Amino acid sequence: MKTTILAVAVIAAVASFGFPAAPTLANDYREKGKSFELSGSGVFVSPPRDWNRLSIRPGKFAETWTLDGEQLNDVTFYSGVEVGAPLVKERDKKRQPLPRFTAETLLVEVPELLEGTYRAYKQIGEFRSLGSRPGSYLGAPGVVFNYEFTDADGIRRSGEAHAAIIAKKLYMASFDAPRIHFYQKGVGDFRALLTTAKRQS
Amino acid sequence: MFGPVLLAAAALLGSPAETRKVTAPPPQPYEGVYQPRGVDELGLWKMDDESESQLARSRLVVRDEALTSYVKGVLCSAVGAERCGSVRVYVMREPSFNATMSPNGTMRVYSGLLLRVRSEAELAAVLGHEFGHFERRHTLQRFKAHRSGTDLLSWAAVLASMNSNPAAQRSFGDLELSVYGSLLRFNRDNEREADLIGIGYLNASSLQPQAAARVWQNFMAETEASAMARGLKRPRFDRVAYFASHPPEAERAAYLGALALPEGSSRDDGAVKYRAAMAKWLPVFLEDQIGLNDFGGSEYLIESLAADGWTAGLWFARGELFRARGSQRDLIHAAEFYAKAIELEQGHVQAHRGLGLSLVKTGRPSEGRKALQSYLSLAPQADDRQMIELLTSSLTETPQ
Repeated sequence: MKTTILAVAVIAAVASFGFPAAPTLANDYREKGKSFELSGSGVFVSPPRDWNRLSIRPGKFAETWTLDGEQLNDVTFYSGVEVGAPLVKERDKKRQPLPRFTAETLLVEVPELLEGTYRAYKQIGEFRSLGSRPGSYLGAPGVVFNYEFTDADGIRRSGEAHAAIIAKKLYMASFDAPRIHFYQKGVGDFRALLTTAKRQS
Repeated sequence: MFGPVLLAAAALLGSPAETRKVTAPPPQPYEGVYQPRGVDELGLWKMDDESESQLARSRLVVRDEALTSYVKGVLCSAVGAERCGSVRVYVMREPSFNATMSPNGTMRVYSGLLLRVRSEAELAAVLGHEFGHFERRHTLQRFKAHRSGTDLLSWAAVLASMNSNPAAQRSFGDLELSVYGSLLRFNRDNEREADLIGIGYLNASSLQPQAAARVWQNFMAETEASAMARGLKRPRFDRVAYFASHPPEAERAAYLGALALPEGSSRDDGAVKYRAAMAKWLPVFLEDQIGLNDFGGSEYLIESLAADGWTAGLWFARGELFRARGSQRDLIHAAEFYAKAIELEQGHVQAHRGLGLSLVKTGRPSEGRKALQSYLSLAPQADDRQMIELLTSSLTETPQ
């Protein structure tokens, strides 16, 4: 998923040489201490350290934050995913549909929803769920889960996600990073970022 | 449609096609260990050597010596021990239907292929085809053809830019289409040649050569099932698209069937041995397939695997498939499928979990709680134990 987005970004960047000030291509700086709304969802975070938000969003309900680039540390916020919607934008709605969040999706099944989305979007087989446990996100009872997968670039990545279903909408934040060095280095910053997440109803 | 291949086969046999049934010729005598010749091929091998050293460390390679040696054994049974010695086989955890062969003898066999073929003969048909590419140095041929074609276009672009006449630009556009079309046709002809070589190996082996056509018939049926479930138009398997890298599937099934040695149909296809060899990996490969979110294709594969009898694993996979799609109707079916899995195998841990979740979601919380409690008693160390306990306790509090 991220590889494709990166490729599109490169193409878009190359195509924009004639319009260097094009605002749509600029990634956004997320300065420490300021408050930022996620995908117009009413969820706000105040990062305890500086982050970058990528301008190209994986989907209507999702946005990606990173410290060193999404290949090295990728925080994706899925905020207010509605019933019937996939987590990220489908490449081809008819030929490559993605699993959808449904009214029947249970909290215990949210890890399967993320796994299914990764498997179908990335067309991978190497994905391993490492377990889930009760947690909280945005002050609501939720689920925390961990996983590992190997992307098309052959790099083994570890991930952690926190999710909650609030008023029939899914709210989730995931952190993916290469298992060697980057996961351990960044997971603390991810968790610290999540503690600042608040939802305004 | 498959005239070129049949004509080639007829020429190699040295007899007119109309006087007797034309089958694929047997393999030519083995010329010894294949080594790179010339600077282009040396370069390709160097690149491949580097790629293989990365592959050898990759997480995507299935680390199962028995499986890898079995797959290599099937290749050897088709192409013979001498030829087989120049190949290193890597089974890849990739759910798509594919296998590839590199110029330096690296063969990648995707787990999606292993899930789809039903016998040693079918697997050998695909691996023999890939070996055909290797033996005829198709990667090198394609590289050279591509270089010549793009060289020609580069010079033509220079000349066209020097001519202000619009006709020159139009001619260049026509030339571009023609060159790219020729390169793509060249690729398709390579594929036809590899098919011819592959079926030749099967004819000369102890395996049933008719299996080669079955691979493509099954693939077409799966593709059709996938399209139907997605509400797409029925796919065409007889058209050659301009950008197609391979011949159309219907053409391949037809000429492979025609080129198979008729006497070979009584041979063993190795289906029993194949099932036994794949038994350990089947649940894993099925899980990967279900993860692709291709309902029609996955349902077709599960049902075709069940042609030899439904097992607990197959009922479970079907339950997972239906639960993943998740409509109320699907969930009711899913619960039935999980129950059938449990009937056949009481200790199928994940079937109890799936059953419990499906029942909870279809308004049967008491039964669902019972199934989830069975899951936890069978798997006290389950990695989602706390979440399941949370769910079952919330069900207890729900007024009945």
